[in-house]
Amino acid sequence: MSDATVTAKRQGPSWLILPGIVWMALFMVVPIAMICYVSFWTQTTFNISSTPTLASWKQFFASDTYTGALWTTVRIWLIVLATTFIIGYPTALFVGLFVKSKTLSTVLLVICVIPFWTSFLIRVLAWRPMLGKEGAINIILQKLHIISQPIEVLLFTELSVIIGMSQIYCVFMVGPIAFMLGRIDRNIIEAARDLGAGFGRIFWKIIFPLSLPGVVVGAIFVSVMVLGEFATSGALSGRKVNLLGNIIVTQVGSLKWAMASVTGVILTVVMGMVIAAFLRIVDLKREL
Amino acid sequence: MTTQTAIFRIDGVTKSYGGVKALDSVTLEAGVNEYLSLLGPSGSGKTTLLRVIAGFEVPDSGRVFFQGRDITNLPAHERGIGFVFQNFALFPHLTVRQNIAFGMANGAVPVSAQETAQRTQAIIDMVGLTGMEDRGVDQISGGQRQRVALARTLVMQPKLVLLDEPLGALDANLRGRMRNELRAIRERMGVTFLHVTGSETEALAMGDSVVVLDRGRIIQRGAPDDVYSTPASPDVAHFLNRFNLFDGTLVDGKFTGAFGTVAAAKVTRAPRDVYAIRYDRLRVMPLSTAAKGPALKATYIANEYLGSSVMNFFEAADGKVVEVEHHLSLGAPETYEPRQDYLLTWAADQAIVFGREGK
Repeated sequence: MSDATVTAKRQGPSWLILPGIVWMALFMVVPIAMICYVSFWTQTTFNISSTPTLASWKQFFASDTYTGALWTTVRIWLIVLATTFIIGYPTALFVGLFVKSKTLSTVLLVICVIPFWTSFLIRVLAWRPMLGKEGAINIILQKLHIISQPIEVLLFTELSVIIGMSQIYCVFMVGPIAFMLGRIDRNIIEAARDLGAGFGRIFWKIIFPLSLPGVVVGAIFVSVMVLGEFATSGALSGRKVNLLGNIIVTQVGSLKWAMASVTGVILTVVMGMVIAAFLRIVDLKREL
Repeated sequence: MTTQTAIFRIDGVTKSYGGVKALDSVTLEAGVNEYLSLLGPSGSGKTTLLRVIAGFEVPDSGRVFFQGRDITNLPAHERGIGFVFQNFALFPHLTVRQNIAFGMANGAVPVSAQETAQRTQAIIDMVGLTGMEDRGVDQISGGQRQRVALARTLVMQPKLVLLDEPLGALDANLRGRMRNELRAIRERMGVTFLHVTGSETEALAMGDSVVVLDRGRIIQRGAPDDVYSTPASPDVAHFLNRFNLFDGTLVDGKFTGAFGTVAAAKVTRAPRDVYAIRYDRLRVMPLSTAAKGPALKATYIANEYLGSSVMNFFEAADGKVVEVEHHLSLGAPETYEPRQDYLLTWAADQAIVFGREGK
């Protein structure tokens, strides 16, 4: 039997992949191609025509509003990624590694997911009465006489957006990391101890490298969601923080299809680069 | 053997899990450069014992000494005792070389990079892994993984190595080869090995002395041939898997069982009366034979070819299965008719009798 036949046999009937191809073509490839195409259309105040032009692209990069939104998106993404990692990793370490009972670790993970039983918008808006000038945090701090004046920077600022997003997306970091940590054979850690390594060494040389695929998957989850965000920033910043997502929403709202498409293409490219960069860190196919 | 000083000693160690005693005041000692094999059925506490010595478990009571020092409360990574895991527990993200060098690169005692490289290469050559240094541990065979696990432990030059069923994950052929290699490596390095196994052949073949553990207690310790030929209790005899054991009653030096009443030459003290006769000590006779001494009527059921011998299975009147081993070096095996009755006999002085009357 030749190699080609062997490969064909192992792969099975190739028509099975057809529904997938049709689906992806209709709902991913065609729309993305369409967005790219529309981004070169000519936009006038009340009309749009398919005459190709670079006007929208030039306008995007010439305007401080648009480039500013790009940098704000990148900045908030990096900060939220860092906070979800800093809060999420120790949590995952506890749930996935230090909790010995499998049942308890499952229960803890379910507890992490419980907030998702309420709608996304409610979870975001719930931060308002928490962070506001007369919100829960300010009232408690004042009652405890820790502060005399309410902290105003808590709500309708970039900080409130970061707090809200970190809380909402943290669990997407915890899950994959806890899963990878839970798969580590306890004997491996004991073997490292037996060879004379202290906890710090074991963590950096054994535990962390073995959990890295989980970190990468979690980071990809968080990144994709944060980069495409518009609701949290809209609701918690009082429209002061504009992300690329918010730009797209306003442009579509005012029927500026060409500009919305330019922003969409740029957002897609940024996401593509971020995912590609993360996938370079570990070979996920090998690890999972 | 008498001039050796103890390298480690555990003194009255007790360890329970949720009310079940895994170790019940175990006291054990091993000398320098000794190969001790610890034999016991699963659940007998042998792995717990190793984990207590290694420092992965803290005993409820009792002390652990190593090189004359009380190490009961010393954390595992400061003990300097080697441990080879049953599943090898290699670091999956590191190469063969990195696995072996791990202890020197990250251990409590700093070792220079040059010495690390030198010692790593030396042990790689010794265990026969030359050429595999840069392979990942998932790219080598089971036997090679076993060698990496051993090398990783031995390169730290421990004075005591604990092996937890190290050959359990290998196939029979490889197990035999690794058995010889383990012995050879240990003799070259001059380390004390404490080898835990559930296999009686492995324990007898490998240890300078054999310790038999049952339900958290040490029930016998001795040279392999002593343990084999004179088991200290019915439990040891049962566990060695070489004896037919008959229940009965021992009165005034006479044992009465399914095979009649026989004088017992020597009785070993035990909490119950048991008559033990080795599989290869039985003879199969036609039913018509007038036997003097013990004789048991039994029905032939089947046999099992073992390569060097044939095991014949008989069923006695009370349903008990009696095994008769015929070594092929003694000549071709006789053939028996299935469902036919035969007479099983043996020389009375070859039996081991346990009883409450014993000394």
